Amino acid sequence: MVKSGAHKKSPVSLRLRLILLAALVVAISLGLVGLVLDAAFHDSSEADLRARMESLVYLVLAATEVGVGGSLSVQDDPGDPRLGQPGSGIYAQVHGEQDQWASPSSLGVSLPVLPSIEPGETRFLVPDAKIGFYTFRYGVAFELPDERLLPVTVTILASPQEHELEVQIFRAGMSRSLGAVGVILVLAQLLFLSLGLRPLRRISRDIAGIESGNLQRIEDGYPMELDPLIRNLNHLLDTEKANQARYSNALDSLAHSLKTPLSVIRSSLPADTAARSDAVEHAVSDMQHLIATRLQRAAASTRRTMAQAVDVKAQVDRLIQSLARVYSQDLINIAGIIEPELAFYGEQRDLLELVGNLLDNACKYGGGQVRLSARALDPADPRAGLSLQVEDNGPGIAKGESEQLLRRGVRGDERAEGHGLGLAIVLEIVSAYNGEITIKESDLGGTSVSVLLRTR
Amino acid sequence: MRILLVEDDTGLQDSLAGILREAGYAVDVSGDGIEGLFFGEEYPLDLAIIDLGLPGLPGLDVIRKLREREKQFPILILTARSEWQDKVEGLESGADDYMTKPFHPEELKARVGALLRRSAGIAQPVIEFGPFKIDLASQRVHKDELEIELTTYEYKVFEYMLMHPDEVVTKTALSEHIYAEDADRDSNVIEVFVGRLRRKIDPQGLMNPIETLRGRGYRLNMQPQSS
Repeated sequence: MVKSGAHKKSPVSLRLRLILLAALVVAISLGLVGLVLDAAFHDSSEADLRARMESLVYLVLAATEVGVGGSLSVQDDPGDPRLGQPGSGIYAQVHGEQDQWASPSSLGVSLPVLPSIEPGETRFLVPDAKIGFYTFRYGVAFELPDERLLPVTVTILASPQEHELEVQIFRAGMSRSLGAVGVILVLAQLLFLSLGLRPLRRISRDIAGIESGNLQRIEDGYPMELDPLIRNLNHLLDTEKANQARYSNALDSLAHSLKTPLSVIRSSLPADTAARSDAVEHAVSDMQHLIATRLQRAAASTRRTMAQAVDVKAQVDRLIQSLARVYSQDLINIAGIIEPELAFYGEQRDLLELVGNLLDNACKYGGGQVRLSARALDPADPRAGLSLQVEDNGPGIAKGESEQLLRRGVRGDERAEGHGLGLAIVLEIVSAYNGEITIKESDLGGTSVSVLLRTR
Repeated sequence: MRILLVEDDTGLQDSLAGILREAGYAVDVSGDGIEGLFFGEEYPLDLAIIDLGLPGLPGLDVIRKLREREKQFPILILTARSEWQDKVEGLESGADDYMTKPFHPEELKARVGALLRRSAGIAQPVIEFGPFKIDLASQRVHKDELEIELTTYEYKVFEYMLMHPDEVVTKTALSEHIYAEDADRDSNVIEVFVGRLRRKIDPQGLMNPIETLRGRGYRLNMQPQSS
């Protein structure tokens, strides 16, 4: 069993899918770019710091003097004002064999005690859990007058705060820039989507035009990528139309080729009713009934998926004028009460057949007053279907007989001409449209036949 | 009354022509749309029965062209297409009624009679005037409740005059409307029919129901009244 579409989650639109996907790709791309730029800046910033620390080492070395006995002395102002300013964030230490020196900037700052390193060795360390400073160490050896070598280690310590501040400033600037780029990219994506999806919106409009009957096929002028789709859709429409016409023609030919011989048989029967063969007469009637109802049902089942809107009032007016011509001598008054611009989204032939048979019956069996009312099944949804009511002021139908009347081929009134086929054909069409039919008494005094046709 | 039957199926054509002739109509037949149109334009017809699926020219086109050429006689469509779409198109093209195949011969005769009456402005199948009562369906004529026996041609003459109550009916018109095209016609025979008809419906010659207008023709001397 097919579940009703109402319970299904409605699928995400193509536009929303593309926007979400594009936004996701932009976000990931910009995030990766941010990470790469951040890492590059961090590395570059550290390299710069190292170079600056290395130059400070040379300043400190230049300010260091070694006494004859191996004593060390360092000028308190080696040449960089930050070394002389307490808590400046840049600190210098010089370790000899016996002496050590610390720059005035380290006053009041707890600096780590680091072991000496071999002369000629340099070490650059980034802050870690033990040492919370960038550290650049340089080992040198001073030659004493006694040709002894005095190993000295110069250590420059830099507080990470300055570096972190730089990184933070860079990150803030980068985030703003990447954010702006992201917004521009998303807006550009929206524009591309809008331009890219425009042909699809046009296809949708064209199909709506075909459904409403304003267009016969999807028009040309689509981008070459959509050309095969448009060609195939038009081919499908043409094929469907041609198939339907062929099917309809085949049914017509079949009807024609069967009905004419039946007419010959019937008109060749002896005119004297007593001598007429009842068996042949019944066989002819049965065959006629089968042709009319089976062919009609077969034709009704060819309802197209893309039905065009049929102007109900225009078609009903044609029927009323035709019937007024046929019943011109019976002074029948047919009133049509039809909602303005009411459309039927089914086959025009089915509407004509259904309303034609109902009106014809009302003209035949009624008392001269016929009223047809038509309205949309659901005012909010014009495609849902139609509600039709045909009433007359005739003798009406006795209670209990309406069910019998709704059976195929049962004549409601033997007085009038006809073969009892009208209502049978109406029933076939109502069934093809998954509709309903009810017969009751009309306030005009006669019969009221109500029909619902569903076109969804 | 003269009827044109345009039907391409020869079996049905023969059968229908036989039924109509038996009913007292003069019948011209054609199995082709072009020939049917020619007959419709050229013959003085009282009614045409036209099939829709015709070789040469479709029935709908035959009807349209006849109406375009201001032929006003009633047209009955005979069609195997029973759908309302076809019926409406047929009636819109200018036909007055339709019949779908297969049909009862009685129904055909009833429709033909109704259309002829309608075109003569007579509502009911029984016409009364003076002491006469004429049943157009059963083709019986009564005078003061007594049936008058008329031959087929006497009845045809009487019926045609009843259908044209206010007109002067010439002998030629009578001849044309009671005989088919291929019949031998002699206008003197019409005088014989009218003379015999007068004697049968007015034996004493007191009422003079059919007036002779010298050199012009005949005129019904009473106004029929539909019952």
